[in-house]
Amino acid sequence: MNTEQQTTNNEQQSVKPDDGLIVLKNLTRRFGNNVVLDDISLAIEKGKTTVVIGPSGCGKSVLLKHMIVLMRPTLGEVYFKNKRIDNLDDQLLTGVRAHFGYLFQAGALFDSLSVAENIMFPVRQHCQITRFSAVEELVRNKLKMVGLDGLQRFYPANLSGGQRKRVALARAIALDPEVILYDEPTTGLDPIRADTINELILKLKGELGVTSVAVTHDMKSAYKIADRIVMLHHGKIIADGNADYIRNHPDPIVQQFIKGEISKKELEQLHKASVGSSVRLPCDVED
Amino acid sequence: MIGTTIFKIGEEVGNIGQFGRFVWRSAVTGMQSIAKSDTYPLIWAQMLAIGVRSVPVIMITGAFVGMTLAIQAYDQLAGMGLEEHLGVLINISVVKELGPVLAAVMLAGRVGGALTAELGTMKVTEQIDAIESMGTDPVKYLVAPRVLACLLLTPVLIVYADLLGIIGGWFISVIHLHINARAYWSFSAYGVDLWDVACGIIKGFFFGGAMAIISCYKGFNCKEGARGVGQACTDAFVISFISILVLDFAMVVIFKSLYSIFWPLRSLVG
Ligand SMILES: Nc1ncnc2c1ncn2[C@@H]1O[C@H](COP(=O)(O)OP(=O)(O)O)[C@@H](O)[C@H]1O
Ligand SMILES: [Mg+2]
Repeated sequence: MNTEQQTTNNEQQSVKPDDGLIVLKNLTRRFGNNVVLDDISLAIEKGKTTVVIGPSGCGKSVLLKHMIVLMRPTLGEVYFKNKRIDNLDDQLLTGVRAHFGYLFQAGALFDSLSVAENIMFPVRQHCQITRFSAVEELVRNKLKMVGLDGLQRFYPANLSGGQRKRVALARAIALDPEVILYDEPTTGLDPIRADTINELILKLKGELGVTSVAVTHDMKSAYKIADRIVMLHHGKIIADGNADYIRNHPDPIVQQFIKGEISKKELEQLHKASVGSSVRLPCDVED
Repeated sequence: MIGTTIFKIGEEVGNIGQFGRFVWRSAVTGMQSIAKSDTYPLIWAQMLAIGVRSVPVIMITGAFVGMTLAIQAYDQLAGMGLEEHLGVLINISVVKELGPVLAAVMLAGRVGGALTAELGTMKVTEQIDAIESMGTDPVKYLVAPRVLACLLLTPVLIVYADLLGIIGGWFISVIHLHINARAYWSFSAYGVDLWDVACGIIKGFFFGGAMAIISCYKGFNCKEGARGVGQACTDAFVISFISILVLDFAMVVIFKSLYSIFWPLRSLVG
């Protein structure tokens, strides 16, 4: 690490297990020598939408997976409702996870099941189904929410990337969970669809009081849905506050990211690379 | 150099521990699945995919084993004028060893490969994470039905392999080589007892269970990407194959000592 990175500010606050609905305490996660999360402390407030931003590959998905212990921390603790959950065995975690809905980055739909069966899956697992028509109604309702009613019989392989994402979202909210974790909910959607999803997230919070954590690098969406924005960089939290606070943040790294600008240094490197390309290989491309 | 070797050994021991826990979890959830009828549809579906669709290949395997044995052994026995004993030789080989082992190896390729590829793809596309995230135990939902189906159906499929092996042997010996049918069967009946058949079928439980659990484990711990899935399938087949051979050896030793406990006299006379 060079000195520039070491001097970036660290807006990490220390947390106690009862500071929020979900609390990550001094969480470190390594993969081999790759330190992805470095001593992160973060408390997620009940009933609010927290948005985690940061460049691709900075560990946003990894952070989200630790919140329902799909990954276990190398060091540190995870609390849900003031109970430690990162050391529970899988059987006990099953009960905890039933409170959550999780939207995976790539959807993670079951490709051997139809759209309707995908959405029914969590219902089948957790509810006594007395009338099949009630389940059908539920599936239709959830699909309407994401604007896909009528695709019940399709299989994931026959859907576009954006449609898959929305079916996955319908599945994540099938049981009306208390907490929803969204991994890039608007990535891969056209701007209008993306805004529909933003409105849906707001609606879920407003009507059902859902607690949400959304990971994204879509700043427009972040500003719209966030009560609080947290920026992750090199495994640390470098900015933490509401939308206005982030907009006016003094740190140049934060500014570059939210404005979507390349840094001067990187720009120079890019120019050098394009001009100074001295290697020429014989290729089969006709002029 | 020594450091990396120690690291590798440590990793292997860690993996064995992980495998042990996986086996234990599968066994416990498997028992629970038997007790609860809500998982039966999952088991049925797997039985159809694993068992019923394997019948043709298993029958072909068995038939060719029987026929080949007949051709091979005939000359040697005929040279000594013992060709009427051909039935014992063929049928005992098929029922005790070749039927169970070859059927299991066939299943390790046909069923084990498919299990690893299916679960491995689910792993790398985060479908297994998704099951977990919805508060369902993926071992209960995915592994237990598959292992149970293999455990229950491998012995049944071995019976099919045995049957076809016996028919194949009979076809070559009696129809093609014109050995007296009465002699053929009476020597067979004298030489092969129920114990031999039972041994072969009991082996099937262990082969099926081992093959299924190794394949599922490899799928669950598959590395990223298409290459990861391919590697997992290769590993699963090689390890299943070796496990089948090792288990076979171990069980032959155990069955032999059991036999001499139950029937000490016969074993002395024979
Ligand atoms: N299962 C894994 N094994 C090894 N490394 C991983 C694994 N999952 C994520 N990583 C690493 O963690 C880092 C962050 O990944 P991720 O959280 O997916 O980034 P993003 O912020 O784009 O969601 C990457 O460098 C990736 O290589
Ligand atoms: Mg990600």
